[in-house]
Amino acid sequence: MVDAEKIASKQKQISISEFFEKNKHFLGFDTPQRAIITAVKEAVDNSLDACEETRILPEIKVEINRVAGDSLELICQDNGPGIPRDSIENVFGKFLLGSRFHAIRQTRGQQGIGITGVVMYSQLTTGSKTSVVSKIESDSTAVYVDLGLDTRKNKATKSGERRDTWFENGEEINHGLKIRTVMKAKYQRGRRSVHQYLRMTSIVNPHATIKLIVRDKEGEIIEQGNWIRTTDRLPRVVKEIKPHPHGIQLGQLQRMLKEADERKLTSFLRHNFSGVSQRAAREILITSGLEESRTPARVKTDEAQSIITAFQMVKLLAPPTDCLSPIEEMLIKKGLSKAIDSRFASTVTRLPTVSQGNPFQIEVGLVFGGDLQADGPIEVLRFANRVPLMYQQGGCLLTKALESVNWKQYGLDHPGGKGLPKGPAAVLIHLASTNVQFTSEAKEAVADNEEVYEEIRKAMLEVGRGLRNHLKKSSQRKKAQEKFDLINIILPEISKKTSQLLGREEPDLSPVITKIMNAVFLEDEISWNKENKTTVCSITIYNYTARARAYTILAKWPEADGIFITDNPRGGRKETTGLWNWRLDTLDPGQSAEIRFSVSGLSKGDWTEADIFFRGNGEIIGATRIDEKLLDEMRKMDALAAAEAEHSESTGSSIEHLAERISESVEEIHREPSTSSEIIDVPEKEIFEPAPNTDWFGMEGGSE
Amino acid sequence: MSANGFTKEEVIDALHDIASEMHNRMTKGEPPRMTLPVRTKQNIAFDRKLGVYKYGKKKSTRDATSLGSARQLLRALHVTEFIEEMIDAGKSSTLREMYYISEGWGHGKFGSQNESNNLAEDLEIITKCMREDFKLRPEEDGARIIGNITFEERNRKGEWMRINCRDDVGDSGYGVPYNVEAEKLRLVDHDIEFIMAIETGGMFDRLVENGFDEDAKCALIHLKGQPARSTRRIIKRMNEEWNLPVLVFLDGDPWSYRIYASIAYGAIKTAHISEYLATPSAVYLGIRSGDIEAYDLPSDDLSSKDIQALKAELSDPRFSDSEWQDEINLMLEIGKKAEQQSLAKYGLDFVTDTYLPEKLRELGFTRL
Repeated sequence: MVDAEKIASKQKQISISEFFEKNKHFLGFDTPQRAIITAVKEAVDNSLDACEETRILPEIKVEINRVAGDSLELICQDNGPGIPRDSIENVFGKFLLGSRFHAIRQTRGQQGIGITGVVMYSQLTTGSKTSVVSKIESDSTAVYVDLGLDTRKNKATKSGERRDTWFENGEEINHGLKIRTVMKAKYQRGRRSVHQYLRMTSIVNPHATIKLIVRDKEGEIIEQGNWIRTTDRLPRVVKEIKPHPHGIQLGQLQRMLKEADERKLTSFLRHNFSGVSQRAAREILITSGLEESRTPARVKTDEAQSIITAFQMVKLLAPPTDCLSPIEEMLIKKGLSKAIDSRFASTVTRLPTVSQGNPFQIEVGLVFGGDLQADGPIEVLRFANRVPLMYQQGGCLLTKALESVNWKQYGLDHPGGKGLPKGPAAVLIHLASTNVQFTSEAKEAVADNEEVYEEIRKAMLEVGRGLRNHLKKSSQRKKAQEKFDLINIILPEISKKTSQLLGREEPDLSPVITKIMNAVFLEDEISWNKENKTTVCSITIYNYTARARAYTILAKWPEADGIFITDNPRGGRKETTGLWNWRLDTLDPGQSAEIRFSVSGLSKGDWTEADIFFRGNGEIIGATRIDEKLLDEMRKMDALAAAEAEHSESTGSSIEHLAERISESVEEIHREPSTSSEIIDVPEKEIFEPAPNTDWFGMEGGSE
Repeated sequence: MSANGFTKEEVIDALHDIASEMHNRMTKGEPPRMTLPVRTKQNIAFDRKLGVYKYGKKKSTRDATSLGSARQLLRALHVTEFIEEMIDAGKSSTLREMYYISEGWGHGKFGSQNESNNLAEDLEIITKCMREDFKLRPEEDGARIIGNITFEERNRKGEWMRINCRDDVGDSGYGVPYNVEAEKLRLVDHDIEFIMAIETGGMFDRLVENGFDEDAKCALIHLKGQPARSTRRIIKRMNEEWNLPVLVFLDGDPWSYRIYASIAYGAIKTAHISEYLATPSAVYLGIRSGDIEAYDLPSDDLSSKDIQALKAELSDPRFSDSEWQDEINLMLEIGKKAEQQSLAKYGLDFVTDTYLPEKLRELGFTRL
């Protein structure tokens, strides 16, 4: 209950209901087809946000029924916290952009005009009221109320309010919200449909269960969807942060100065901005020529402007990035796999970074093969703060960044290197940010931003490399399989048949096999052990050469907190994070050896493709020679991360301070003279531009 | 007895030599293999003695170091076994039947009928036998003939039937059987001056309807596109045994040039038996590329495929003489091709009243 009231009280109202009536085309209600998608979007976004804040695993049901000729009835129900009676009017009756508008934090809702728009559109097009049932846990009964809107006064009109116990299918509802509204709208199937919107939503909200039922006038179901949650892990609670000086404009600064309670400018700067230390606050004031003791409310316009200028000149800490809620690689993979049947998935969650004072983070997932259509452009799934973007694909920064990558290099058809690549693939791009900049009010295309663009490109290169490795591996595997078929099946048959035809003895084939293969082969397989819930990786190396071989075999594994190697009879040792090695001292001609290890802490399907590397003389078909230089870089990154972890433990400081120190330590490491206007990035994995025929770990192993 | 005069035992021994090479290699610890001539235009050469094009000296080795080649070796062994069984049982099968029978050969089964046809040819080349020796029949459609010539064909009952290709046949003519060797077909008598081989059914029927065979005293043979072996063989026999000139009347396009080459010089795929199939004295009557302009024939632009084919022909040894080089270059230059039936532009009788008589007179046939 406390939660629900807290959310409601935070919301501040803005009077723009008349604005809506004039500008509904901006707001997603321009066509009857789009209106229903927008309405579902507003309702579902609210439900997901509310559930997330109150740590409830969302169950959302969307029902759409065609009523009269061009009207649809929309019913949305969730199991969220519900809305307290006294706040219902505010939530549904005014344009409330609430906490989203004044605080800086990643939420879904910042992209919509809110559920009020739905109430208003319904009233404008059909004259009907929106019925709301709301139940909060601390009340004994639910509130039933019908809402209309006085658009001129920006006020809700309530009618038929009553309290009752809420039953659905014979079960009492303890907390939740249900709205029912009728509006002029058309249900459309296909790429731009409610179904696609919810499918996309379910991909980036793997913790949510979403159901959709669409019925025609006769009550027949014409489309439905049931996306069940694939994880019980809710997105982490995002912190609200104070604005960062690099993202501040004059008007906003003046407003903040006016409303400030602080008596001195130094404390004003330290308390109201993120990334400003005592030292930095003093420097800002020195640079702008203002005295520390000045009262913020009395700062004049030209003085405020000089502060703005100083913001860009003084070295500042990056804003904290724990205000962002990435989906995270594993969950993207799960989300994608629940919606799309594919053979291969590669996902990347980049470390958060900052653009103009706004923290943001890029995530990319690529799926390939399986049921995906092989001809035509790939499917692009764009998301901003977990909200699907369905329109204006071409004009969107996310698409532009995707198109800028040379996909041919990664195994996709990319005619002329322009436009979308072609092939059986789908790419998900998620931009999480406290302030997503769109090209227009319609909020369907992300506006150009160099830092965001570069981050997306880097993420694309990573998944692209994953795809290339996968394709290379598939073709290597196919070739190896052919060789095995040749020596194990065809050759013995040739031997048998010739001997039969000629009435001679069968020859000894082992020297023939060595002649034919003349290589070391490696086969790997990842399987799921149901009994002890471990993922088993098995690697077999065959020596089909005429001399003994010795190798070190290295395998990548998804090392992380709570994920361990449990069974590893050959022992070996850790090479670096996520990379284990085993020595094979002698592998005689004609012999094979197996390495097998189990990993616990993963779910089925989390880890499906092994990356195997080797060190030693002579090539191995099916494995890649490890690049020692890259390995060194990885070890350095490891050491750096370890040093930082230790540092923070010893002082036990807050996250904001940690960010400060990370920035400093990065400075120390890089020893680069940086200009004061630069934003300091948190350390990130370095990106290595792929050289032709070079792997993440280096040179291609199999010569074939 | 067959065309080459091999006995059953000789055929089986020749096939066993292939298996033996494989077995010997394996016993020595080497991958099994099969050696055969390269079967492309790069490896055909004019044989002065025979007057036709034959495979040259280039050999290719098919050894079991790749899955594809290993499968081919296994297939060859299965085919060998199959042929042995047929020879023993006194049966024969079509190439298509063999393709279906291979379904039961496990890893030795054919992927397509083309593969089985090619392998049968490979075995012919290596063993120097002919597919008739292997008891394999083609599926291919033999030609039809109309004209005043008389054959004797041994029918299914083993009796010799006398057939006159003008008087004893309907409008579709005499159907040439797949085996036209002496044991099956005898050339008895004729009253014609030349043989005219025609590419398209439409033109064949036009000449028949116009009574061209009688007016010009010739036999008309419908080639049905790229002619089957038996078609080429019967043309060759009539040419040799009756000493009749052979005139070839085709469309005017790059593909027709190849049809002519297979009749006159030998086909690339069957260069191992060119001396049985090719008729070096055959004359290419038309449509010549020059005719397109001279007769102002309705024509189509050459497609990119046509141009590619013409360019390939320029480097084909069979078209290496200057007359052919000129012919091909002229077609490339005017960029057009024309069908036989484009002659109908000037009426249905134009071909028999004007075009062919003019062409024949150039060659010294003055009857028309």
